[in-house]
Amino acid sequence: MIPPYYEFANTAKVLSGDKAIENIPFELRNLRCERVLVVTNKDLRRLGYADIVLGALADGRIEVAAVFDDVPIDSSVDVVNEVARVFTEKRCDAMVAVGGGSVLDTAKGVRIVLSAGGEDLMELRGADRLIGRFLTPLVAVPTTAGTGSEVTGVAVIKDTHRHVKMGFASFDLVPDVAVLDPRMTAGLPPRLTASTGMDALTHAVEAFSCRQANPLSDGYARAAIDLVREHLPRAVADGRDTTGRLAMANAALLAGVSFSNSMVGIVHAMGHACGGVANVPHGDAMAVLLPHGMRFNLQVARDRYAELLLHLAGSEVFASTPKEKRAEASIDAVRALLSSLHESVGQPTTLSECGIVAEQLPEIAQAAAIDGAISMNPRFAGASEILDILKAAL
Amino acid sequence: MRADVDVGPDPVRAMKRALAAVVFWVLGRGLVASCRLDSRVRREVATWPADTIVTLEIAPDGPSTTVRLENGRLTALGAGRPVPATLLVTFKNIDGAFPVLLGMKGVLQSFAEHRASLSGDVGLGISLVRCLHIVEGYLFPDLMNRRILPGKAERRVSHVHAYVALLKPTADLPAEGARS
Repeated sequence: MIPPYYEFANTAKVLSGDKAIENIPFELRNLRCERVLVVTNKDLRRLGYADIVLGALADGRIEVAAVFDDVPIDSSVDVVNEVARVFTEKRCDAMVAVGGGSVLDTAKGVRIVLSAGGEDLMELRGADRLIGRFLTPLVAVPTTAGTGSEVTGVAVIKDTHRHVKMGFASFDLVPDVAVLDPRMTAGLPPRLTASTGMDALTHAVEAFSCRQANPLSDGYARAAIDLVREHLPRAVADGRDTTGRLAMANAALLAGVSFSNSMVGIVHAMGHACGGVANVPHGDAMAVLLPHGMRFNLQVARDRYAELLLHLAGSEVFASTPKEKRAEASIDAVRALLSSLHESVGQPTTLSECGIVAEQLPEIAQAAAIDGAISMNPRFAGASEILDILKAAL
Repeated sequence: MRADVDVGPDPVRAMKRALAAVVFWVLGRGLVASCRLDSRVRREVATWPADTIVTLEIAPDGPSTTVRLENGRLTALGAGRPVPATLLVTFKNIDGAFPVLLGMKGVLQSFAEHRASLSGDVGLGISLVRCLHIVEGYLFPDLMNRRILPGKAERRVSHVHAYVALLKPTADLPAEGARS
């Protein structure tokens, strides 16, 4: 499939594999940086993950001017401004962000503030804007394998005073270096490994069928799904399986590149709403809603889902499935993966298992109908259509 | 060696600019009219911050249109950008904007193709897109709407009433639901 026009960017250099973190000093020197600010959170420091990075920086003779380990669960404008202040005060020339989505989003927010010359973050919201004259070098070290934030050009930051979530989307937000080291996800509990893995799968499937899917984003999505199919059950079953961990980290990254360019759709719209209304963890919502979203999109994305069967179920199943049944078989493959994760680690398969009750569905449907992601879905869905999907997923 | 480049006047480009200016004028007035005519637009606009100013423009110096939210109603400020916009939609060039302005390509598809940048709250931008879809439902025939709108165009008043409201903002308007 070739769209009439598309844009694609993936500017992050990727370091993936054993001792990848030890190469960060070399990359920082390549970026002409020698005095860094490390951004992380207290849990990651306590568990020793941040120390792995700090040790590598010390061994590589990179000066750590400061460590900011106060990033909360939701990145906020206050924290972004505080980190930016520390960065300037300590005369740092690069950031190394070690953590999950909130840490990486915080670092991206700091990058916006620093690059724009200290302007109010609120004034810099938007999509596809050039945010500044000089982009502060940023190295991203993810500690989960799901969001793909280490390679995406999006960030969500809370303005705690004005009670709004600020969205930023720009290719300029993509970190310079993304570091995938299996040590950083080795301690993820099996249940979290499962839900973050399903998040990555959802990114890839939605990216493959969304409005701006293109040959480049397709390639990343296909590779991501192959890795999820082959390695997610392994990583869940044995967290010490280094190959499985690294494969899932790569799957999340590949899916991140894909959706950063072609966007996500109805599954994410509903998932965001489930999180907002009922505090359902993002990965759990994705896992439950993915097959339902695919079922809804089937009438406009049949050919795309049929193509995905090769990646979701493997070549044997693809070859033995009649062409006209491949799209439905793709949905079945997603359901089968979810069922296996349910059996192995109790991954929820319904919204009820996520704690949602029927009375909450109308509010969730209304919120999903105005979520930004819904606009990129290949098929139109209003609140009533979404409510039907949610009822089926309950 | 000198490398003077003088591409000279381009009549096609000038025609596109002129046409884009007309469409922007219609879009601005259309937003204002649909806010009077259609409760769906009023509901969207009710979620916007007070005194929101929305500008649609074409880079680098193309035509533009601006509407301002005042006391729950939209007012067309016309061309130019006299005041800083709360939400600024900038088409990167006239060739990227043209298919959208002529109803040949949907607004969402245009954003998906990165034809336009957005400065301001992304959520507000999405709300504006929903309003533009309703406006397009009134401005364009169904044949075109089927191609550019995400769903079926739903008109609360007829095309004729919509165009009357657009051309004469002070005209008496029919009740919502009057389609004759």
